Amino acid sequence: MQAELEMNQEQDIQFKQMKKKKSKKRLDSWLLLLPALSIFLFFFLLPLVFLFITSFKNFDAATGIGHDWTLQNYAKFITDQFYLGVLWRTVKIALITTLAAVVISYPVAYQITKVRGRMKNYLTLLVLSPLLISMVIRCYGWVILLSNNGVVNNALMKLGLIDKPLTLLYTEFSVVIGMVHVLFPYMVLSIMGSLERIDPSIIRASQNLGAGPIRTFFSVILPLTLPGIFAGSVMVFSLAVSSFVTPAILGGPQVKVMSFLTYEQVSTILNWPFGSAIGFLLIFIATITIIIYSKLLTKSEKGVAIQ
Amino acid sequence: MRKVLPKACLNFFCILVYIFLAAPIVVVLLSSLTTTEYIVFPPKGITLRWYAELINHPEFMQSFTLSIMVALGTSVISTIIGTMASIAVVRYEFRGKTAVTQLIGSPLLIPSVVFGVALLQFFSWIGLAASPVALVIGHFILTIPFVMRLVVASLVGFDRSIELAAKNLGAGRLRVFFQITLPVIKSGVIAGAIFAFITSFDDLTVALFIVSTDVVTLPVRIYTYMQYQYDPIITSVSSIMILLTVILMVVIERILGVGKVFSSKN
Amino acid sequence: MSYLCLENVVKTFNKTEVVKKMNLEIKKGELVSFLGPSGCGKTTTLNMIAGFLDVDGGSIVVDGKPVHLLPPNKREMGMVFQNYALFPHMTVFDNVAYGLKLRKVPKSEINQRVLEALEMVRLSGYEKRYPKELSGGQQQRVSLARALVIKPKVLLLDEPLSNLDAKLRQEMREEIVDIQKKVGITTIFVTHDQEEALAISDRIAVMYEGRIEQVDTPVAIYNHPQTDFVSRFIGEVNQIQGHVVETFSGNQCKVSFDGYHQVLSCPGTKDTLIDFYLRPEKIQIYQEHSEGLRVRVERKMFLGAKTRYILQLKDQQFIADISNTVLNPDQIIEGQDVLAVWNPEELLATKK
Repeated sequence: MQAELEMNQEQDIQFKQMKKKKSKKRLDSWLLLLPALSIFLFFFLLPLVFLFITSFKNFDAATGIGHDWTLQNYAKFITDQFYLGVLWRTVKIALITTLAAVVISYPVAYQITKVRGRMKNYLTLLVLSPLLISMVIRCYGWVILLSNNGVVNNALMKLGLIDKPLTLLYTEFSVVIGMVHVLFPYMVLSIMGSLERIDPSIIRASQNLGAGPIRTFFSVILPLTLPGIFAGSVMVFSLAVSSFVTPAILGGPQVKVMSFLTYEQVSTILNWPFGSAIGFLLIFIATITIIIYSKLLTKSEKGVAIQ
Repeated sequence: MRKVLPKACLNFFCILVYIFLAAPIVVVLLSSLTTTEYIVFPPKGITLRWYAELINHPEFMQSFTLSIMVALGTSVISTIIGTMASIAVVRYEFRGKTAVTQLIGSPLLIPSVVFGVALLQFFSWIGLAASPVALVIGHFILTIPFVMRLVVASLVGFDRSIELAAKNLGAGRLRVFFQITLPVIKSGVIAGAIFAFITSFDDLTVALFIVSTDVVTLPVRIYTYMQYQYDPIITSVSSIMILLTVILMVVIERILGVGKVFSSKN
Repeated sequence: MSYLCLENVVKTFNKTEVVKKMNLEIKKGELVSFLGPSGCGKTTTLNMIAGFLDVDGGSIVVDGKPVHLLPPNKREMGMVFQNYALFPHMTVFDNVAYGLKLRKVPKSEINQRVLEALEMVRLSGYEKRYPKELSGGQQQRVSLARALVIKPKVLLLDEPLSNLDAKLRQEMREEIVDIQKKVGITTIFVTHDQEEALAISDRIAVMYEGRIEQVDTPVAIYNHPQTDFVSRFIGEVNQIQGHVVETFSGNQCKVSFDGYHQVLSCPGTKDTLIDFYLRPEKIQIYQEHSEGLRVRVERKMFLGAKTRYILQLKDQQFIADISNTVLNPDQIIEGQDVLAVWNPEELLATKK
């Protein structure tokens, strides 16, 4: 009797411990997230919120950031032809980059999905290798190639195609070249993904119905990979719009884009409020792209599902 | 004939693209060998003097060491914290989970220039000077979305019954994690660590705002140097970085296999 | 004296009870199957015994000690998982040795015990292989060796054969029973395959909607099902309705099946209808016989040793399985009328 009572008490205690265990599980997930979340809140969200506030402050020549609230920074951007020009150039460069990336990525992605075995690994590595090598160095390589007495100009002159060097460097052209080079792997990966998802029997079915390889490509393969092209394009576009290193090295002050403008305002002119405003306009453009993209994607996914 | 021609065109086009991809890297490597005082391609003569010249530029060596330390620190911290967060996101159901994942993924949406400016302002307000720690914090934010994506991918396909089996055989929670879970998701975690390392080592944009005259990472050093100089010393520094990357990749390929690293990427 | 004892075990998920006050006693060395359709709570119960799920009420006692509050790693139970759950990054040897290493068994003894365990499951020589280099059956054997090598108090098998193909499944189940008897370990075997359960179990616990419907030997379960669910779930049954035309003392009554009169023991009252279950293999058909239920042969299907006849009575269908050595199927033509006959003792009364 005594023993039974003791056992009951013991079980009672154990049951209480078990209840604790359950709430501990809930606690676990937050403990695991705590380091990541706290760093994020403190060093990501908070700085951005402060910067957002700064973009509504007036410029003070002495301290950089004044004390008054104003919409002046945004108004200044929207009303000034020069800044709107920079915005337009940024978007234009990103668009051309995206288009060029699609055109040169698709054949490469197609070729890689066709080969098998080790060759495939090597080609994939080759395509992805630019991602692994410092962006600064790659852009520097383009500086050597495109400068006035660089490789491209020398070659063209030797061939007698031109008499004096073309201005290739520090132009929108050089910025696009550099960006395509930097962002190309993202596009290839995205298109490869959609190519690999195509069920080979669909292609066989098309051939079986009498379509030649070219017809099969345009009527079957290309439409099925549109979502991949689309996803890659959005990624490349949003990275191109906000990229800094490539336009800074290959465009410099001659080809100003939004990110460079932000940098210049903050570190050279020390107009923090205006720099912040430009930065948030940039975030705005990038975010809009993504939102339009996800809206369109859900639509096109439905379309593919119907097919 | 009808089949051969398109294929030949395709291959030709692809070769052109591969040349385009390789061109800037090859140019950097080869121009570092030139005997001239200025950069020229193709190089005139072959010499290693621009590598020897680096001895007269200890600032490059300092920056290189700093960059390696920062990249290692970022990689370790980002991988540990990112793996923890990935486990929480994949394994547990809790309120606000979507908000948390979106927040941690959001640095991909924020242009790094803007983040760099925001961080600079914040650091100056709280009085955190340019330091390796400040760089690691900035790079942590940049890299954690990638780390989490890779680790989450390897956790999603994870068969949890092997954890139950280990428990059943007598293993406690920590043991289960270190002896069973971690070895199985190893390739995702290592891939995350490598990407974090490379991203940190490569970062110019954020570092540009955080560095001071004493604390300069290698990309910033190269960037500022080439604003004013156009001598081949940059090409020799760059070549060393390229070679190190290649060696790193070969080592990883030996340990893991390229296929594994990249297959877990998607 | 029971060795493993479930007392009023309850499990709730989101306020629904998936295991309802379950009681079960298992003797030492016994092999008991949990048999039931998916969602009946059999795997949930197994997971509570293993400790992967907490019990929400009641207790689980092993060898006189309550274990339901212990974490799974302290319960000393060996488990074989449905998908084998081998550690993919360890060799066969390391998989089997894992539990022993955790128990700090000396190295030489680990070596010896692992080799013995692998020999028992006929996998000697596979020590250095990795799980992915083994076939499904071999993986299952490793899993069994891994569970048994720690000499657990209870062996838990969670649908261990469901991922194997039919032939291998039969071989493996014989092997499992052999090993289980040799080791003499108390075993719980979860399955949804009744043939499997009937073939290997000392006793079967038939489960349905979180309850144990009946615990009995395979023969008793098949021949004397205690509930409607058990009758329908184990084996195949025809449902047949009889009309009580007369009652006698001692629960005897005369029942008419569309004119086929039989006297049997059942608690009926005069002029009521009673439903019975009747197994297909208990029906005989004759072209001519003194009595029987007149039905039409709708279809016949030759199944090798036996033939299945689909019999039509008004708007109702029956099946009868008859051994081809008893009745040559060529003698019966589809569409012909026959007499169906059965022994009244084979009728299983329904519980409504």
